[in-house]
Amino acid sequence: MSETPIRIRVRYSKTGNLRFIGHLDTQRIFERALRRSRLPLRYTQGFNKHIRLNLASALPLGFTSSAEMLDFWLDEPIDALEIREKLQNALPSEIRIIDLSQVENSLPSLQGSLLSSEYQIALPPDITKEEFKHKFEQILAQPEIPVTRRDKTIDYKPLILNYNFSGQDSVIDLELSSTPGGNARPDDILQLLGIDPADCRIERIALHFSELED
Amino acid sequence: MPKSNISLIEKILYSVEKPGRYVGGEHNQIIKDWDSVDVRWCLVFPDIYDIGAANLGLAILYQILNAEEKVLAERSFAPWVDMEIQMRKNNISLFSLESKQSLKDFDILGFTLPYESIYTNVLNILDLAGINVRASERGESDPLILGGGQACFNPEPMADFFDAFAIGEGEEVSVEISNTVRYWKKTAGPRSELLLKLAQIPGVYVPSLYDVTYHPDGTIASFDPNLPNVPPRVTKRIVANLPTHPSRFLVPNVEIVHDRMSVEIMRGCARGCRFCHAGMVNRPVRQRGIEELLPVIEDGLNATGFEEVGLLSLSSSDHTEILDLTQKVHQTFHDRNLSFSLPSLRIESFSIDLMDELKELKPGGGFTLAPEAATERMRAVINKPLDDEDFYQTVTKIFENGWRSLKLYYMIGLPTETMEDVDAILQAGIKVQQIGKKIIGKSVKIHLGIASLISKPHTPFQWLAVQRPEIIQEKLDYLKAGTRKAGIKMSYNIPDSTLLESWLSRGDRRIGAVIQNAWENGAKFDAWGERENLQIWRNAFASQNLDPDFYAYREKSLDEVLPWDHINIGVTKNYLKRDFEWSQLGRTRKDCRNVCYSCGILDTFGNQRPPETVSYWGCP
Repeated sequence: MSETPIRIRVRYSKTGNLRFIGHLDTQRIFERALRRSRLPLRYTQGFNKHIRLNLASALPLGFTSSAEMLDFWLDEPIDALEIREKLQNALPSEIRIIDLSQVENSLPSLQGSLLSSEYQIALPPDITKEEFKHKFEQILAQPEIPVTRRDKTIDYKPLILNYNFSGQDSVIDLELSSTPGGNARPDDILQLLGIDPADCRIERIALHFSELED
Repeated sequence: MPKSNISLIEKILYSVEKPGRYVGGEHNQIIKDWDSVDVRWCLVFPDIYDIGAANLGLAILYQILNAEEKVLAERSFAPWVDMEIQMRKNNISLFSLESKQSLKDFDILGFTLPYESIYTNVLNILDLAGINVRASERGESDPLILGGGQACFNPEPMADFFDAFAIGEGEEVSVEISNTVRYWKKTAGPRSELLLKLAQIPGVYVPSLYDVTYHPDGTIASFDPNLPNVPPRVTKRIVANLPTHPSRFLVPNVEIVHDRMSVEIMRGCARGCRFCHAGMVNRPVRQRGIEELLPVIEDGLNATGFEEVGLLSLSSSDHTEILDLTQKVHQTFHDRNLSFSLPSLRIESFSIDLMDELKELKPGGGFTLAPEAATERMRAVINKPLDDEDFYQTVTKIFENGWRSLKLYYMIGLPTETMEDVDAILQAGIKVQQIGKKIIGKSVKIHLGIASLISKPHTPFQWLAVQRPEIIQEKLDYLKAGTRKAGIKMSYNIPDSTLLESWLSRGDRRIGAVIQNAWENGAKFDAWGERENLQIWRNAFASQNLDPDFYAYREKSLDEVLPWDHINIGVTKNYLKRDFEWSQLGRTRKDCRNVCYSCGILDTFGNQRPPETVSYWGCP
């Protein structure tokens, strides 16, 4: 076992049935896939040893993603292609690795440097993009956009960072803040607009960080 | 392949708690082409996914049936209340996890019935699938409704709802049933013909082929087949050689109860505790050797990535190679950061050696012992003999070896029990706590688990009445007050749920109508212990003019026909009678691997016994 752990960063997609699997369960799916991969995993020290594994951000239940990220650590350096192959073979088929590389240990944690998430929302057939745009801009014009989740009300106004209606017919893009101090969810916004999120397809398409490279 | 409404299913998943319960997609899931097979099974565990997903019996049958080329086996579980509301509102039929097909579209629904409190869930599941709950009212195109599992050794309470039961071990008989259904489908014969064919398979019980009559006092007058060529008694099935253990277990995506890999190291138990249903119905004792088990564990871990392994048996310490096994497990897997659990250890210092071996793999956790009764007299009655001195010596050594937490299981409501026997449980807890404090210091944790006896079918106690809830409550209150004062944790079964279990486990065929009435009035998930449920059940008894007390509080006569007498577990009724008489004399039996008491197992199954070089049987 080398003194310094080897930090591996993975970008992956999560689709199909697995969109109904929550954050902690996803973490456990990775822990078990890592065990199945038989890679020389780094464990946390102490009484109850756990695989060292950090997921960038919780993906809300029901959303697919093509942009999830996580870090895990190995005891020994191994060729990235080999790691990728071993891990992919051990993962359920609805999680696909997009990128896998070794990164510096000195980089800040993924969670700590996450700024925002970009979502692509496919609207239900009974709502046109024009209607959506109209409603959305009305709400944006308000001085405050209060959203209540779990008895806590926060103002979404500063958390809506960007939006784009220029894509395909029924598809809109939203960029929302994903910091510990201000984490906005696209389904909350749909609900504000009177749209049932269950009628939409929501995919996270990008995560933006303050510093990803050295 | 029939069409199922996947997009509607997916839509309602957004509005239920833990939708991952309903979608499948687990690692090692088997999906076969619907149209490429002749027989389609759905294995149904009638409780929520969280409870049923880890069931080893389900995992075994899933692999055995899917290994057959022309057979597919998928899975389904009881939807939780929120999901049921959504399904009924949106007219969605209960579906399988794999293909999302309606249960109605399968050929066979194989229900696992490991305990009785899920009986109402079976009816609810059939109804959610659009299948008539009563076997007699089902049509030619409905799936075959088949039951199996530990509760089916008394199938009578559920006889109205099942077309057939597989009694005993399912590994071989499930394939035989599958083949029978396959050939019957080709002949396009009537359903009645299939049932008659199934009744010819050893171990298969088709309840509609039997008639029951009753005496005026409510006991059974006669129980006979109503067609020729139907056996008057159905002998349970066993697998003479324990088959290859599965290792490609499904890995659940959501957190479940017993979220680990289970490996069965031994089947059956030779100790003969008189309250123990499992110990009587699962004879003979058979075990898997180390050379078979280690590769199973290794393959299983590589295929699943589980972080915990449970080595299952009814009495781990009785496996003849258990110390060697735990040592090899330690040597082989010490670098994988795993934990191993070893349930049902005997109260002797040898058990501590075993646990110490496994503890080093992953420290933490506690030690569990089950003395079941706290006086030597009471332990002789239940045939779990143990000297007090040996008990306290074992406890002392447990603390000396550094264990800081000890859980002790006891039973109340035992025959001939007095308040002295109950008080002895409290005193034992206090003494154990003092021993621990002296050795470890203040931080020792003692936990008493108290269960009340339900005298189960096919045990030497089967003739006994169940103690009334008010008496059980009094005993529990006494123990609760005492343990609270001493700072000992205590957990226990609610007397109401004990009562319900006694009706459902000891009932006759008439209980079926009670179950249906209770279900129609909202009873389901009866194990979840909501108090209002018991009133539903009392009303259900009243609706059928049946007296619940008849089923719970009546001491049965030794020569009456019991509702489950036509199910032959291999152990004879005469043996059980003799053992019941011995219990009243305080006479105990030893480990029957050393001395045969002629329970009947060898008379029934001796001709199947493999040579010793092939397979280990515990019988002398």
